Amino acid sequence: MDDWGTLLAEANSGDSRAYATFLRTITPVLRGVVRAKAGCLGEAICEDVLQEVLLAVHLKRHTWQAGAPVRPWLYAIARYKVVDAFRARGGKVEVPIEDFDEILAAEAGPDPTEAADMAKMIGLLDNRSGRLVRMIGIEGSSAAEAGQALNMTEGAVRVALHRAFKTLAALRERHLK
Amino acid sequence: MKTENLIAALAADSRTEPPLKAFLWPALALALAAAVLVVWVSLGFRDDLLASLSEPFSVMRFVLTAALGVLGVRLALVLARPEGRSLARLWPVAVPVVAALGLLVWAYVLTPAEGRQMALVGKTMTTCLVMIPLLSVLPVAAILVALRKGATTSPALAGFAAGLGGSGLAAMAYAMHCIEDSPLFYVTWYGLAIGGVTLVSTLIGARVLRW
Repeated sequence: MDDWGTLLAEANSGDSRAYATFLRTITPVLRGVVRAKAGCLGEAICEDVLQEVLLAVHLKRHTWQAGAPVRPWLYAIARYKVVDAFRARGGKVEVPIEDFDEILAAEAGPDPTEAADMAKMIGLLDNRSGRLVRMIGIEGSSAAEAGQALNMTEGAVRVALHRAFKTLAALRERHLK
Repeated sequence: MKTENLIAALAADSRTEPPLKAFLWPALALALAAAVLVVWVSLGFRDDLLASLSEPFSVMRFVLTAALGVLGVRLALVLARPEGRSLARLWPVAVPVVAALGLLVWAYVLTPAEGRQMALVGKTMTTCLVMIPLLSVLPVAAILVALRKGATTSPALAGFAAGLGGSGLAAMAYAMHCIEDSPLFYVTWYGLAIGGVTLVSTLIGARVLRW
């Protein structure tokens, strides 16, 4: 088993520090994969797609079989989500891919590390869940601190956070259709 | 939202979903038990069920349907993993299909010309074509739900595997009632029923197994 496998195995058994390390390790690699496959959509959209891939990895991490190589598993998720992103955006914009490239290149706007879609989706969550995700993600609160601020127990925070990510993925699906 | 912020939020969520086998095995066992119970209560087992097990042609009904069931479920389990598409092997599924077709040809040769029509149509064709799909509903649904808990990257193929596995097991339950022992009958009509369910399940899979 390689480093990624060790980290992911620890993450799946509940070690959140190993999990954070795992996510930070795979992110640059996934960013490269996404850009190689969807670069023509523009950098900002690539970052959106990358975040979709990370969310998918998060919610489907139990489908990795302990001991199996991590890379084929990870790249399969990335490939699936990139194809999904193409289909969704192709369907929405309704222009051939060749033209698509130029349109997006012309309106290159925001900082490439700032993705827009996830923030929009978080805005569609109920108030408390949205606040929770923002507090822990952006403000860097711990589960306990977020619980205090929102008047929830730490256990309730964990349940709510997990549910929030599942809702985000479901919202994403609906939004893409 | 910056990717770094998303990672921080994701890492704080330490709850993982249970492995899908934890759902699949109990659900499939219940679905199969329900199918056998329905056959027993609504149709009854055939009177000579035990004796029929010494008839090679009769036993092959169980062997072939069980093989399709097991291979279908196994294929579904592989396809439930994202990387399963490149790990999945389809040829094992073809083995019972080819064996069944071979059996059909063999029975055709063995059956006297004037008896073929009768052996093919049998007496219970309608029951067979209605019951196997009905009995398939729960097992196929159990496998599809398990697949939704997984992460298949080939939804249609996974739906195909679920349909084949579930209807294979359902046909095995139905065979406990069915008294038609000619391969001319069962390869044809079981095959048609299993094929129909599998086709529908493939179409359903393509829609509901996306994520």
